[in-house]
Formats: sequence, C-alpha cells, structure tokens
Amino acid sequence: MEKIFLKSDLGKSFEDYEFSGLKNSLKMEQTQVIDKIKDSVLKGRGGAGFPAGIKWETAYHVEDDIKFVVCNADEGEPGTFKDRFLMENLPYKVIEGIVICGYAIGSKYGYIYIRGEYTQAIKIIRKTIQKMYERNILGNNILGTDFSFDIKLVRGAGAYVCGDETSLINSIEGERGMSRIKPPLPVFEGLYGKPTVVNNVETLSAAAEIMKYDYNPYLQLGTEKSKGTKLVSISGDVYKPGVYEVEFGKMTVKEIVNELAGGVKGSGLGFVIPGGISTEVLTENEWDVPYTYEDLFKIGTNIGSGGMIVVSKDRNYLEIIKNVSDFFRDETCGTCFPCREGNKNINKMVSEIYERGYPMKKEIEIISDIKNAVSLAARCGFGEASVNLILSILENFYAKKVK
Amino acid sequence: MKVKINNKEYEFQEELSILDAVKKAHIIIPTLCYSEKLKPFGSCRLCSVEIKGERTLKPACVTKISNGMEIYTHSEKVRKVRSTIMELIIASHGISCNLNCLTCSKSASCEIKVIAEEIGIMEVRVPPISSRVPEDRSSYSIVREPQKCIVCDRCVRKCAEVQSVNILTIANRGPDTYVTTFLDKGMGNVDCVNCGQCVIECPTGALHEVYQTDQVWNVISDNSKYVIVQTAPAVRVAIAEEFGAEPGRIVTKQLVTGLRLLGFDKVFDTNFSADLTIMEEASEFLERFKNGGKLPLFTSCSPGWIKFIEHNYPEFLDNLSTCKSPQQMFGAIAKTYYADKIGIPREDMIVVSIMPCTAKKYERVRPEMKGDVDYVLTTRELAKMFKLAGIDLLNLPSEEYDEPLGITTGAAAIFGATGGVMEAALRTAYEVITGKTLERLDFESVRGIEGIKEAVIEIDGLKLNVAVVNGLGNARKMLDMIKNGEKDYHFIEFMACPGGCIGGGGQPIPTTKEILSKRMKAIYEIDKSFEIRKSHENPAIQALYKEFLGEPLSEKSHELLHTTYIARS
Repeated sequence: MEKIFLKSDLGKSFEDYEFSGLKNSLKMEQTQVIDKIKDSVLKGRGGAGFPAGIKWETAYHVEDDIKFVVCNADEGEPGTFKDRFLMENLPYKVIEGIVICGYAIGSKYGYIYIRGEYTQAIKIIRKTIQKMYERNILGNNILGTDFSFDIKLVRGAGAYVCGDETSLINSIEGERGMSRIKPPLPVFEGLYGKPTVVNNVETLSAAAEIMKYDYNPYLQLGTEKSKGTKLVSISGDVYKPGVYEVEFGKMTVKEIVNELAGGVKGSGLGFVIPGGISTEVLTENEWDVPYTYEDLFKIGTNIGSGGMIVVSKDRNYLEIIKNVSDFFRDETCGTCFPCREGNKNINKMVSEIYERGYPMKKEIEIISDIKNAVSLAARCGFGEASVNLILSILENFYAKKVK
Repeated sequence: MKVKINNKEYEFQEELSILDAVKKAHIIIPTLCYSEKLKPFGSCRLCSVEIKGERTLKPACVTKISNGMEIYTHSEKVRKVRSTIMELIIASHGISCNLNCLTCSKSASCEIKVIAEEIGIMEVRVPPISSRVPEDRSSYSIVREPQKCIVCDRCVRKCAEVQSVNILTIANRGPDTYVTTFLDKGMGNVDCVNCGQCVIECPTGALHEVYQTDQVWNVISDNSKYVIVQTAPAVRVAIAEEFGAEPGRIVTKQLVTGLRLLGFDKVFDTNFSADLTIMEEASEFLERFKNGGKLPLFTSCSPGWIKFIEHNYPEFLDNLSTCKSPQQMFGAIAKTYYADKIGIPREDMIVVSIMPCTAKKYERVRPEMKGDVDYVLTTRELAKMFKLAGIDLLNLPSEEYDEPLGITTGAAAIFGATGGVMEAALRTAYEVITGKTLERLDFESVRGIEGIKEAVIEIDGLKLNVAVVNGLGNARKMLDMIKNGEKDYHFIEFMACPGGCIGGGGQPIPTTKEILSKRMKAIYEIDKSFEIRKSHENPAIQALYKEFLGEPLSEKSHELLHTTYIARS
C-alpha cells in the first residue's frame, strides 16, 4: 500500500498552501530545527544517503558571514523522475525546504540547480519563487521575522556529472563540470569557497514535511535504520509506471512492483534495477526483499536514487548493458583516469559482446578488474558506481555459462 | 603525529600529504598527474593507497596524514588497482604494434615507461583506442600530438598556474575529453608565448618542439652554403644530461668539438652577442636614466616574455629595451660584419642556433628581424643529432670556439640563469658610470632560484632599484604591482621560464628544481673560470665597435641590433 506522507499536500494550490513547516521552524531556535531533522535520521535522497541533519549541523557550526544552501535538482540518473514529480506537483514544498535549511544553518542565499531538460519544472519553480516573494515567504524579513532569504534558479546544461555536489558547485560558478577534491567538504568550503549545504529535492521537501508537525513524524515511519518514506519512480516493463511513495520496511521490492506498479509485463521478471543505473540488479531470487537501506545493502545493492527499472525476461540484456555503458562512457566528466578510460574500454568490449550475442570469460574478467579499480579509486561517487549495474548483469546472467 | 606506513611506525611533525610522508620513508609511489611545481589534481589515481578503515583507496597526493593513520602503499589491493589503471592508460595512449615508442619525442624521458616498470605491467589486455583529435602544427615552436595525450592536465596547469598564460584547456567530456586551445584554434593562433614549459611538463610525447633537424642536416651537407652555429649559454650546462651525465656537468669544449664533427663550418658562441647585448642595453639604460627616458627598463632577451607582454601588457611596451636578443644580434652581426670580413656572400651565410628555448623558434620568424637566424635547434634536438652521428659527447676531446664570434666573457656566461643579464649589465654599468674598476663582481642579491628578487645597488652614491623576475606568473605579479604603484624600479630583468634559460622549454627532460639548481651552479662556475668577466672588456666586442659599429646605440647599431614590438591585445 502506498503511504501518503510527502505526497499529502498533493493537489493543494499555492494559495491554499500554508507553509506551516517554515512557520513552525521560524518559531524555533535554529538548533532545534537541526535537532529535529537529526532525530528524524533523514538520509540524503539523491543516492548517497548521507544524513541531512549532520550536514546541517556541521554547516551551522562553521563560522562565516556567508553560507549557501544549494538544492540539487539536477536529476540525471536514468530511470529517476521523483524530483521532477515534486517540482512539478509540490514546488512550494521544495522551495520551503530550501528556506528552512537556510534558516537552520544561518544562510541568506539559496540556489536551486535544475536539470536543463526539465523545462516544465523550471517554469513552475520559477513562477513559484516569484509568488513566494510576493507572499513574503522569500526576500527580506520573511513573514515578519528577522530572517531574510533569497533564491536563485540555475539551469543545468546537460552534464550528468553535475548531479555530483562538487561538480554542481563548479557548474554554478561557471567552471567546468568536474568533481572537486574532497576534503574540503562543501559544508566547509563549497560554493565560492563558502560553507555550503547541498541537498537533494526530495530531502529538502521531506525536511519541510517533517517540520510541519508538532511531533517528529519520521520517528513513527519506517525501520530503525531507514526512517520515513521514499518516493520510488518506477518505469520499464510494468503496467503502471509512476512515482509512488513507500514507507521503508513495509513493502518488499516485489510488492512495490506488483501492487503499486501493476506487475511485470511480458513473460516474467528478468531483473529489477532498484535505484537508478548505478545500482546492482535484483534477480527473481532476490526481489522479495524489504525495501530499506539496510536490507538492500545486505544483498549487495542500494536504494540509490529510488529510480526503479523493471526488466522483463523478454528483453535483450546485452542491449541494456550496451545502453548503460554508452551512457557512462559519454557522461564521465573525463577527469580521472579509471572512470574515463575504464568506461571507454568497457564500452568497446560491451559493444563487441552485444554484436556477438554473448560475452567471453576473459571479457567479464577484465570488466570486473576495471570495476574494481573504478569503484576503489575513482575521483567521485559517480565514477565509483558507474560499472555496478553492467557487472552485476554479466555476473548474474552470463558468468556461469561462458567460456 | 604517528603514522604507520606498511606496518612500520613513523613520526611526522607536519600534516604532510601521504605522498610527501612516504617519500620521507623512502617509498616510491607512482604518480602521473602530480608535479612538484603544480597544485595536486588527483586525476590519474595511480598514487591511490589503502588506509585502514576506509572503504575506498585514497589518492596519496591530496590526502593528508593524520595521527594513528595506517597506510598501505603497495598492498595487493593497491597493486591490482594500479595495474588496471596502468593498462587503461597504456591503451589510451596510442602505442601501436609499429613500436612507435621508439620514434617518440620522449623515447628517452617517457614517464609512462618508468611507471609501467614501477607497477610491473606484464600484459595489456585492452587494445589501444586511438584519439581522433588531429595534430596541432599551427605553431612555429610547439607541436601537439593528441593521440599520445593522456589528459593528465599537467600542461594546462603549468600554463595557468606557473606561467599564467592560460592558453590550454580541457574540453568536452567522456571519451571526447581532450586538451585544446580556445575554439580549437591551435597554439599558433592564440596567446601562446611559445615558452615550452608545457613540453617540459608533459609526461608523454604529446608535446614537443617543431623539429628543424632535417633542415639542418641538409644545409650542413650543402657545400654551397657557409654554415655557422651559435650556442646559447644554458646549453653547455644541460646537454650532458641527455647522455646520462649528472645534472650540472659542464661540457662546453666537448660541445664545440661535437659541433665541428657534425660539419659546421664555424662554431661560435651566443655568449659573444650576449656581451654585445650588454653593451647596447647598459648604454640604453644609462641614456634613459640620464635623459629622463621611460623607466623601469625591461630586458628583452627572452622571446617568451616579449610575446607575453605584447599580449597581456601592451601599455608597458615602451619600457622594453629595444635591444634584440643575443640570438638575433648574433645573426645580424654574422651576416654582415663577419660575412664581409671573411669574404663570404651574405646570402650564402647560414646561421644555426642551439637554444635551450622553444620560443627562439618563433623569434626567428618575427617579421621585425626575419633573416637574422635561419634555423633554431633546442638542446634536445642537438643531442638527438649528436646521437644520430654517433658522437660520444661526454668523452670528446676539448676544443675552443672559433674566433672572433666565439670570444666571450664570464658576464655573458651567466645570461643562462635568472639574474644573469642584470648582473652582467651592472658590472658594465658600474664601470661606465664611475670610470672605476669594480672590485667585487658577484652581485649575490640578484642570484638564486626565487621567482622575484629585488636589490638596491649603490653606484657612486647613486641608488639603483633593480628586480629580477623569472617565470611568467611572477612577471604578471610584478607588472600588476608596478601598475598599481606598489613598486618602483629602474631596471628589471624578466625571463619567461622558471630559473631563466637553464629551465627553458628546450632543455633536457626532466627539469626539476634540484636539476635547475645544479645547472645554475654550473653557470656560475663557468663565469668564475673566465679571466675576463665584464662584457665591455671583451676584445672581440671592442674590435667589433672599432671596426664596424662605431659605438653603442650608433646608427648602425640601431639598424642591426635593435628592434620594435607590437601590441597584440
């Protein structure tokens, strides 16, 4: 059953939206807001899963006259469209989350960096920002308080890597979209060298939703390690693709696919990609797993971005591998050697495998070695995860059969 | 703080990078994108090490040590990752079964080769993927062969961080990532100053000078031509490195012998025209100083510096000395005075230069002084010619330069190091101003490897504010300070390359800080070995003025030895 929490204001017009999350926050001390988010164990919903409260707390404690909040709306992970859903349907909640974060950490400036292809979302967010200024929910002395906050919308130019927080910061600054070396982490030295919190659209929206209640709703949702709900965008071979909200621990992946997305099309399940094409696949033996961070991690994969792609038995898996590899070959930022050269070489092999119709043992071995090097030594998280899916398909469906 | 490296405990006082820390423990970690002169970049990932408790490996170049850290520099996990990355690098580098390694410009100084050995690569399982980016042959000085480029970014960073020239960049992403210039215009069509520091920095053969060795071979064997050669001061303290000698070995006299063996009709010395430059430039300075001319006077020997100021600071062009560089002065005198003197038709006289410099190749074709010099070879190119001719340079007998254009002084010898032109000019200026003999010839305050040096020199109650600048990043700093009125000088020496000509873009590779100081030491040894150490005491120079030029800044001097500049902004 879909759990309606983050979606609870769906359908509400801007005029009817109360911004109670923000109003509640502005009545609290900054540290109280941070504590509430910390207690909720809200994890970063972009894919990396870093606790948002800790990020906010760190940024709060860094002393600087200027701090930034950046909303990462560069949703580029194939199969993922939950941030688009939020921006198009609950734009005010997204912005509200940014303002709350700004208040909590002591920042006056926010950015929302939206994927360039999301023309509709850009239009809606732009209009929402304008209306929020008109209602004094943005600008000087917000809602009659001492707190002032401005937001600027930045449109991405189409590079996948700019979804990585340091690359995104470079991009806002007008620099080449490539990751920065960490440390320093952005919370210490981020945009224009200033302390910066970068949070995903869904993370900030969830924060706004959490702040709406007098109690902490997350403490009653999900499991101990996976609190709250998650928006799952389901696509592929299902009858009812779409964005569904799932409470952690209450449904298995199989149930999500069958009950929410209407089941697998064609002659049966091939595999499920649980969280975007940077995550390892789940086979029919594995998909009966509770949807939580910890359970998916236990069997070697990840919640990722929540972009679930269902693949039926009827598909040519090698074509899928080829497609995924084309993507990573083209989208690596080209800076670090393992990711750039690794994905290039894998693509060459995968193209040959696709033409031939089956892989050779030697090829799987080389791809496995490259995956090992990339995941251990790439410069950013995007590189690290870039071969996960390809190798997991080869290992699950081909490794035992080939010579 | 205490750190364990490969299970052995070490103590460090500072928060070093892992790379610096393990160096102190005498452990070598392979690096490609790292360079001591540049900010760490962390792209090659070859220096990745294992740290206890960390999920992923960490690049040693950018990761700092911390108390209690346990580092494994060569564990099996690390070795396996390095080996895979190395395979990928090799595959990206366009090595073919034609053994093109052997014909590569960096065949003797290739870092990839060294690292492949450090990592112990036994096989490369992925076939080469060649780049489709075309070669860049638009420059008179430098060639780019992108198929050998591994996009380590070192040339880009050298050009930006050290030289502040900023003509190189990385473009595109994914497999199309490549190093290029603004709008792919090519190095010859952008603000490149031809300094060649990118060539020195490149770990592969993706960058090298525009070769003129073929033309020189041809002209040497052409009996209808009278081919003379000049050698720049920095070549004699560096070329031995190309033959495996320790840096700092002086091979002046073997160099002369070697050039004769190659078949040059006369072997002369750029140091001769360095002395001549001092005569003209010191006189120009004194004239400006006395008559309220434009000061500070900037030296003009370094063609990379000249093009830099033409592009970036044209408002300072009047500060430049109008003196041609020693290379060009040499050509101008050789093709007039000397040709007439020995009765060779001027048009049959061919002048070849051996220079530590790639910008000299461009200087040669500048329209303002075209024809002075016919061919320019770098130190590296000459070493290749020696090898090709079977010349065992280090063991050759000693021979002297030919007269008269090979008669030189200690003052000219130090032109090869940063501060040398200033010191040589001061030696002459002092005696010209005071009419007295200078007792202490060594102006220590203008020597050394620092990027910007300042000194106040007292000459007969007169206080001269001088500065010496090397490396174009420092030149930019200096010009900005002058522009903002923070600094005021009478005379400034500028050299495009870090360390001066000894660190030139045409010098043997590698050129590290340590090697630079050894070459510099050798330069001052040469100066000391001369009996005559002041340019104006060079008898051949005195004869030249007496027989031909008249006096410094004469009409003839102006016609032959001075030039003009253009604003390129």
